[in-house]
Amino acid sequence: MVKSIITVIIATFIVVFGAFLESVSLNKTFDEMIICIDQIDLKLEDEVCTTDDILSLQTLWIESKKHLHIYIPHTEIKELDLWISECVMSVKLEKFDEARIKLEVVKELCEQIPKTFNVKVENLF
Amino acid sequence: MLIIFIRAIIIFVTLVVIMRLMGKRQIGEMQPFEFIITLLIAELACVPMTDVSIPLVYGVVSIIAVFILHQILTILEQSSQRFKSVIDGKPAVVINKRGVDIKELKKNNMDVSDLLESLRTTGNFSLDSVHYAIYESNGKLSVLKSEQKDASNQLPLLLVYEGKFDKNNYKLLKLSDKIFDNFLKQNNIKSLKSIDILTVASSGECYLQLKNMPYKKVHFDFSEDVKW
Repeated sequence: MVKSIITVIIATFIVVFGAFLESVSLNKTFDEMIICIDQIDLKLEDEVCTTDDILSLQTLWIESKKHLHIYIPHTEIKELDLWISECVMSVKLEKFDEARIKLEVVKELCEQIPKTFNVKVENLF
Repeated sequence: MLIIFIRAIIIFVTLVVIMRLMGKRQIGEMQPFEFIITLLIAELACVPMTDVSIPLVYGVVSIIAVFILHQILTILEQSSQRFKSVIDGKPAVVINKRGVDIKELKKNNMDVSDLLESLRTTGNFSLDSVHYAIYESNGKLSVLKSEQKDASNQLPLLLVYEGKFDKNNYKLLKLSDKIFDNFLKQNNIKSLKSIDILTVASSGECYLQLKNMPYKKVHFDFSEDVKW
Protein backbone atom coordinates (compact mmCIF):
# COMPACT_ATOMS: atom_id res chain seq x y z
CA MET A 1 0.00 0.00 0.00
CA VAL A 2 2.89 2.34 0.81
CA LYS A 3 4.20 1.81 -2.71
CA SER A 4 0.80 2.71 -4.15
CA ILE A 5 0.57 5.88 -2.07
CA ILE A 6 4.06 6.92 -3.15
CA THR A 7 3.27 6.35 -6.83
CA VAL A 8 0.04 8.39 -6.49
CA ILE A 9 1.94 11.26 -4.85
CA ILE A 10 4.71 11.19 -7.47
CA ALA A 11 2.28 10.97 -10.41
CA THR A 12 0.13 13.79 -9.01
CA PHE A 13 3.23 15.90 -8.41
CA ILE A 14 4.37 15.34 -12.01
CA VAL A 15 0.99 16.45 -13.39
CA VAL A 16 0.64 19.47 -11.08
CA PHE A 17 4.23 20.58 -11.65
CA GLY A 18 3.80 20.09 -15.40
CA ALA A 19 0.59 22.14 -15.30
CA PHE A 20 2.36 24.89 -13.38
CA LEU A 21 5.23 25.02 -15.89
CA GLU A 22 2.73 25.00 -18.75
CA SER A 23 0.78 27.89 -17.25
CA VAL A 24 3.91 29.98 -16.60
CA SER A 25 5.33 29.28 -20.06
CA LEU A 26 2.05 29.99 -21.86
CA ASN A 27 1.41 33.28 -20.08
CA LYS A 28 5.02 34.44 -20.53
CA THR A 29 5.08 33.59 -24.23
CA PHE A 30 1.77 35.18 -25.09
CA ASP A 31 2.39 38.23 -22.88
CA GLU A 32 5.59 38.85 -24.84
CA MET A 33 3.66 38.42 -28.07
CA ILE A 34 0.99 40.89 -26.98
CA ILE A 35 3.59 43.50 -25.98
CA CYS A 36 5.23 43.13 -29.39
CA ILE A 37 1.83 43.30 -31.15
CA ASP A 38 0.90 46.51 -29.28
CA GLN A 39 4.17 48.16 -30.32
CA ILE A 40 3.63 47.21 -33.95
CA ASP A 41 0.02 48.36 -33.81
CA LEU A 42 1.11 51.85 -32.72
CA LYS A 43 3.51 51.98 -35.66
CA LEU A 44 0.81 50.78 -38.02
CA GLU A 45 -1.53 53.46 -36.75
CA ASP A 46 1.09 56.07 -37.55
CA GLU A 47 1.85 54.27 -40.83
CA VAL A 48 5.54 54.04 -39.95
CA CYS A 49 5.74 50.30 -39.56
CA THR A 50 8.53 48.62 -41.53
CA THR A 51 8.92 45.09 -42.80
CA ASP A 52 11.61 44.51 -40.16
CA ASP A 53 9.15 45.40 -37.37
CA ILE A 54 6.58 42.87 -38.49
CA LEU A 55 9.29 40.30 -39.22
CA SER A 56 10.47 40.67 -35.62
CA LEU A 57 6.99 39.58 -34.51
CA GLN A 58 7.13 36.63 -36.87
CA THR A 59 10.59 35.65 -35.60
CA LEU A 60 9.42 35.90 -32.00
CA TRP A 61 6.48 33.66 -32.82
CA ILE A 62 8.62 31.10 -34.67
CA GLU A 63 10.96 30.88 -31.68
CA SER A 64 8.09 30.64 -29.18
CA LYS A 65 6.05 28.05 -31.01
CA LYS A 66 8.84 25.48 -30.78
CA HIS A 67 8.00 24.73 -27.16
CA LEU A 68 4.30 25.59 -27.52
CA HIS A 69 3.91 22.51 -29.72
CA ILE A 70 4.32 20.42 -26.57
CA TYR A 71 1.02 21.53 -25.04
CA ILE A 72 -1.03 23.47 -27.59
CA PRO A 73 -3.02 21.72 -30.32
CA HIS A 74 -1.09 22.14 -33.55
CA THR A 75 -4.16 23.50 -35.34
CA GLU A 76 -4.16 26.59 -33.12
CA ILE A 77 -0.46 27.18 -33.79
CA LYS A 78 -1.10 26.86 -37.51
CA GLU A 79 -3.90 29.43 -37.29
CA LEU A 80 -1.56 31.97 -35.70
CA ASP A 81 1.11 31.13 -38.32
CA LEU A 82 -1.31 32.01 -41.10
CA TRP A 83 -2.55 35.27 -39.58
CA ILE A 84 0.99 36.50 -38.85
CA SER A 85 2.08 35.63 -42.41
CA GLU A 86 -0.84 37.64 -43.77
CA CYS A 87 0.16 40.58 -41.56
CA VAL A 88 3.73 40.41 -42.89
CA MET A 89 2.49 40.50 -46.47
CA SER A 90 0.11 43.41 -45.81
CA VAL A 91 2.93 45.44 -44.27
CA LYS A 92 5.23 44.58 -47.19
CA LEU A 93 2.52 45.91 -49.53
CA GLU A 94 2.10 48.94 -47.24
CA LYS A 95 -1.58 48.15 -46.66
CA PHE A 96 -1.47 49.34 -43.06
CA ASP A 97 -5.22 49.34 -42.38
CA GLU A 98 -5.51 45.77 -43.57
CA ALA A 99 -2.45 44.83 -41.50
CA ARG A 100 -4.04 46.36 -38.38
CA ILE A 101 -7.18 44.26 -38.84
CA LYS A 102 -5.12 41.08 -39.19
CA LEU A 103 -2.93 42.07 -36.26
CA GLU A 104 -6.06 42.45 -34.15
CA VAL A 105 -6.95 38.84 -34.93
CA VAL A 106 -3.44 37.76 -33.92
CA LYS A 107 -3.78 39.69 -30.65
CA GLU A 108 -7.19 38.16 -29.96
CA LEU A 109 -5.78 34.68 -30.54
CA CYS A 110 -2.84 35.43 -28.26
CA GLU A 111 -5.25 36.53 -25.54
CA GLN A 112 -7.66 33.65 -25.97
CA ILE A 113 -5.31 30.66 -26.28
CA PRO A 114 -3.89 30.86 -22.71
CA LYS A 115 -7.41 31.37 -21.34
CA THR A 116 -8.53 28.01 -22.76
CA PHE A 117 -6.01 26.34 -20.45
CA ASN A 118 -7.36 27.96 -17.27
CA VAL A 119 -9.31 25.71 -14.93
CA LYS A 120 -12.80 27.09 -15.47
CA VAL A 121 -16.21 25.46 -15.85
CA GLU A 122 -16.51 26.54 -19.49
CA ASN A 123 -13.17 24.92 -20.30
CA LEU A 124 -13.97 21.72 -18.44
CA PHE A 125 -17.32 21.01 -20.04
CA MET B 1 -2.59 20.00 -18.79
CA LEU B 2 -4.65 20.45 -15.65
CA ILE B 3 -7.80 20.72 -17.77
CA ILE B 4 -7.06 17.37 -19.42
CA PHE B 5 -6.32 15.86 -16.02
CA ILE B 6 -9.59 17.05 -14.49
CA ARG B 7 -11.61 16.07 -17.58
CA ALA B 8 -10.12 12.56 -17.43
CA ILE B 9 -11.13 12.31 -13.76
CA ILE B 10 -14.69 13.47 -14.53
CA ILE B 11 -15.08 10.93 -17.35
CA PHE B 12 -13.62 8.13 -15.23
CA VAL B 13 -15.92 8.82 -12.29
CA THR B 14 -18.94 9.08 -14.62
CA LEU B 15 -18.08 5.74 -16.20
CA VAL B 16 -17.67 4.06 -12.81
CA VAL B 17 -21.09 5.32 -11.70
CA ILE B 18 -22.75 4.31 -14.98
CA MET B 19 -21.17 0.86 -14.97
CA ARG B 20 -22.36 0.30 -11.41
CA LEU B 21 -25.88 1.38 -12.34
CA MET B 22 -25.89 -0.93 -15.37
CA GLY B 23 -25.53 -3.95 -13.13
CA LYS B 24 -23.52 -7.09 -13.51
CA ARG B 25 -24.54 -8.15 -16.99
CA GLN B 26 -22.33 -5.49 -18.63
CA ILE B 27 -19.13 -6.72 -17.06
CA GLY B 28 -17.15 -9.81 -17.94
CA GLU B 29 -14.55 -11.24 -15.59
CA MET B 30 -13.37 -7.85 -14.40
CA GLN B 31 -14.25 -5.50 -11.60
CA PRO B 32 -16.22 -2.50 -12.91
CA PHE B 33 -13.38 -0.01 -12.56
CA GLU B 34 -10.87 -2.41 -14.11
CA PHE B 35 -13.22 -2.80 -17.06
CA ILE B 36 -13.40 1.01 -17.41
CA ILE B 37 -9.62 1.31 -17.27
CA THR B 38 -9.29 -1.27 -20.05
CA LEU B 39 -11.81 0.67 -22.14
CA LEU B 40 -10.21 4.04 -21.52
CA ILE B 41 -6.52 3.22 -21.79
CA ALA B 42 -6.92 1.74 -25.27
CA GLU B 43 -8.68 4.84 -26.54
CA LEU B 44 -6.44 7.30 -24.69
CA ALA B 45 -3.33 5.68 -26.10
CA CYS B 46 -4.72 5.44 -29.60
CA VAL B 47 -5.93 8.99 -30.25
CA PRO B 48 -2.71 10.99 -29.65
CA MET B 49 -0.75 8.22 -31.35
CA THR B 50 -2.62 8.58 -34.63
CA ASP B 51 -3.76 12.23 -34.59
CA VAL B 52 -0.67 14.41 -35.05
CA SER B 53 -2.60 17.62 -34.37
CA ILE B 54 -3.01 16.60 -30.72
CA PRO B 55 0.07 17.04 -28.52
CA LEU B 56 1.30 13.74 -27.15
CA VAL B 57 1.26 15.19 -23.65
CA TYR B 58 -2.58 15.17 -23.73
CA GLY B 59 -2.58 11.38 -24.02
CA VAL B 60 0.17 11.00 -21.44
CA VAL B 61 -1.59 13.22 -18.88
CA SER B 62 -4.93 11.44 -19.28
CA ILE B 63 -3.26 8.04 -18.93
CA ILE B 64 -1.51 9.28 -15.79
CA ALA B 65 -4.89 10.51 -14.49
CA VAL B 66 -6.39 7.06 -15.04
CA PHE B 67 -3.38 5.48 -13.33
CA ILE B 68 -3.73 7.79 -10.31
CA LEU B 69 -7.45 7.01 -10.03
CA HIS B 70 -6.75 3.30 -10.28
CA GLN B 71 -4.19 3.50 -7.49
CA ILE B 72 -6.48 5.61 -5.30
CA LEU B 73 -9.40 3.21 -5.80
CA THR B 74 -7.16 0.24 -5.03
CA ILE B 75 -5.90 1.88 -1.83
CA LEU B 76 -9.43 2.82 -0.73
CA GLU B 77 -10.73 -0.68 -1.52
CA GLN B 78 -7.98 -2.25 0.53
CA SER B 79 -8.66 0.01 3.48
CA SER B 80 -12.47 -0.04 3.51
CA GLN B 81 -14.76 -2.99 2.85
CA ARG B 82 -17.74 -0.64 2.56
CA PHE B 83 -16.01 1.40 -0.14
CA LYS B 84 -15.13 -1.82 -1.96
CA SER B 85 -18.76 -2.86 -2.05
CA VAL B 86 -19.81 0.60 -3.28
CA ILE B 87 -17.30 0.57 -6.14
CA ASP B 88 -17.29 -3.11 -7.09
CA GLY B 89 -20.74 -4.09 -5.90
CA LYS B 90 -21.62 -7.10 -3.78
CA PRO B 91 -22.01 -10.70 -4.87
CA ALA B 92 -25.71 -11.41 -5.45
CA VAL B 93 -27.21 -14.73 -4.38
CA VAL B 94 -29.74 -15.33 -7.14
CA ILE B 95 -30.60 -18.96 -6.38
CA ASN B 96 -30.98 -20.15 -2.82
CA LYS B 97 -32.75 -23.07 -1.18
CA ARG B 98 -36.15 -21.47 -1.76
CA GLY B 99 -35.49 -21.09 -5.47
CA VAL B 100 -34.74 -18.11 -7.67
CA ASP B 101 -34.51 -14.73 -5.94
CA ILE B 102 -36.23 -12.54 -8.51
CA LYS B 103 -35.72 -9.34 -6.50
CA GLU B 104 -31.97 -9.92 -6.49
CA LEU B 105 -32.03 -10.58 -10.22
CA LYS B 106 -33.90 -7.34 -10.86
CA LYS B 107 -31.46 -5.40 -8.70
CA ASN B 108 -28.78 -6.47 -11.15
CA ASN B 109 -30.90 -5.70 -14.23
CA MET B 110 -31.35 -9.35 -15.15
CA ASP B 111 -34.17 -11.79 -15.63
CA VAL B 112 -34.54 -15.55 -15.49
CA SER B 113 -33.53 -16.04 -19.12
CA ASP B 114 -30.20 -14.31 -18.34
CA LEU B 115 -29.81 -16.55 -15.31
CA LEU B 116 -30.57 -19.68 -17.37
CA GLU B 117 -28.01 -18.56 -19.94
CA SER B 118 -25.35 -18.05 -17.26
CA LEU B 119 -26.24 -21.40 -15.70
CA ARG B 120 -25.80 -23.15 -19.05
CA THR B 121 -22.30 -21.67 -19.38
CA THR B 122 -21.44 -23.32 -16.05
CA GLY B 123 -22.75 -26.68 -17.33
CA ASN B 124 -26.04 -26.60 -15.45
CA PHE B 125 -29.11 -26.77 -17.61
CA SER B 126 -31.92 -26.68 -15.09
CA LEU B 127 -32.68 -24.42 -12.17
CA ASP B 128 -33.04 -27.29 -9.70
CA SER B 129 -29.60 -28.69 -10.51
CA VAL B 130 -27.96 -26.12 -8.24
CA HIS B 131 -28.37 -25.34 -4.56
CA TYR B 132 -26.93 -21.87 -4.78
CA ALA B 133 -26.00 -19.54 -7.60
CA ILE B 134 -24.12 -16.33 -6.96
CA TYR B 135 -23.38 -13.51 -9.38
CA GLU B 136 -19.96 -12.33 -8.34
CA SER B 137 -19.12 -8.63 -8.47
CA ASN B 138 -17.15 -9.23 -11.68
CA GLY B 139 -20.32 -10.55 -13.39
CA LYS B 140 -19.34 -14.23 -13.30
CA LEU B 141 -21.78 -16.84 -12.02
CA SER B 142 -20.60 -19.24 -9.33
CA VAL B 143 -22.75 -22.26 -8.56
CA LEU B 144 -22.96 -24.84 -5.82
CA LYS B 145 -24.36 -27.91 -7.52
CA SER B 146 -26.96 -30.07 -5.83
CA GLU B 147 -25.99 -33.67 -5.12
CA GLN B 148 -28.76 -35.17 -7.24
CA LYS B 149 -27.77 -35.35 -10.84
CA ASP B 150 -30.02 -34.35 -13.66
CA ALA B 151 -30.79 -37.76 -15.08
CA SER B 152 -33.46 -36.71 -17.50
CA ASN B 153 -31.03 -35.31 -20.07
CA GLN B 154 -33.71 -32.88 -21.08
CA LEU B 155 -33.35 -29.20 -21.69
CA PRO B 156 -35.93 -27.28 -19.64
CA LEU B 157 -37.66 -24.37 -21.31
CA LEU B 158 -38.88 -21.26 -19.55
CA LEU B 159 -42.64 -21.22 -19.94
CA VAL B 160 -43.81 -18.60 -17.46
CA TYR B 161 -41.86 -15.79 -15.90
CA GLU B 162 -43.50 -13.38 -13.47
CA GLY B 163 -46.95 -14.31 -14.74
CA LYS B 164 -46.01 -13.81 -18.37
CA PHE B 165 -46.17 -16.53 -20.94
CA ASP B 166 -43.35 -17.37 -23.34
CA LYS B 167 -45.30 -18.13 -26.50
CA ASN B 168 -42.32 -19.50 -28.45
CA ASN B 169 -41.53 -22.09 -25.80
CA TYR B 170 -45.23 -22.87 -25.51
CA LYS B 171 -45.25 -23.78 -29.20
CA LEU B 172 -42.03 -25.79 -28.92
CA LEU B 173 -43.55 -27.87 -26.13
CA LYS B 174 -46.68 -28.37 -28.26
CA LEU B 175 -48.94 -27.51 -25.39
CA SER B 176 -52.62 -26.85 -25.74
CA ASP B 177 -54.64 -24.50 -23.56
CA LYS B 178 -56.62 -27.44 -22.20
CA ILE B 179 -53.52 -29.30 -21.02
CA PHE B 180 -52.11 -26.19 -19.48
CA ASP B 181 -55.37 -25.37 -17.68
CA ASN B 182 -55.41 -28.92 -16.28
CA PHE B 183 -51.86 -28.42 -15.03
CA LEU B 184 -52.89 -25.20 -13.28
CA LYS B 185 -55.90 -26.92 -11.65
CA GLN B 186 -53.82 -29.91 -10.48
CA ASN B 187 -51.42 -27.54 -8.74
CA ASN B 188 -54.14 -25.24 -7.30
CA ILE B 189 -52.93 -22.28 -9.33
CA LYS B 190 -55.73 -19.79 -9.85
CA SER B 191 -54.01 -17.43 -12.24
CA LEU B 192 -50.80 -17.11 -14.23
CA LYS B 193 -49.91 -14.02 -12.22
CA SER B 194 -49.24 -16.14 -9.15
CA ILE B 195 -46.44 -17.97 -10.96
CA ASP B 196 -42.97 -16.51 -10.66
CA ILE B 197 -41.15 -19.16 -12.66
CA LEU B 198 -42.24 -22.27 -14.53
CA THR B 199 -39.77 -24.24 -16.60
CA VAL B 200 -40.79 -27.41 -18.36
CA ALA B 201 -38.63 -30.15 -19.85
CA SER B 202 -39.92 -32.47 -22.55
CA SER B 203 -39.85 -35.34 -20.05
CA GLY B 204 -42.54 -33.43 -18.15
CA GLU B 205 -40.34 -32.39 -15.25
CA CYS B 206 -41.22 -28.91 -14.09
CA TYR B 207 -39.63 -26.33 -11.88
CA LEU B 208 -42.48 -24.37 -10.38
CA GLN B 209 -41.99 -21.35 -8.20
CA LEU B 210 -45.07 -19.50 -7.02
CA LYS B 211 -44.96 -15.96 -5.70
CA ASN B 212 -43.39 -15.77 -2.21
CA MET B 213 -43.20 -19.57 -2.07
CA PRO B 214 -40.26 -21.96 -2.26
CA TYR B 215 -39.91 -23.76 -5.54
CA LYS B 216 -41.20 -27.29 -6.06
CA LYS B 217 -40.70 -29.98 -8.64
CA VAL B 218 -43.90 -31.14 -10.29
CA HIS B 219 -44.75 -33.25 -13.27
CA PHE B 220 -46.47 -32.16 -16.42
CA ASP B 221 -48.50 -34.72 -18.39
CA PHE B 222 -48.21 -34.18 -22.09
CA SER B 223 -50.90 -35.71 -24.24
CA GLU B 224 -48.66 -36.12 -27.23
CA ASP B 225 -45.00 -36.70 -27.91
CA VAL B 226 -42.85 -33.65 -27.64
CA LYS B 227 -39.86 -33.58 -29.92
CA TRP B 228 -38.00 -30.90 -27.98
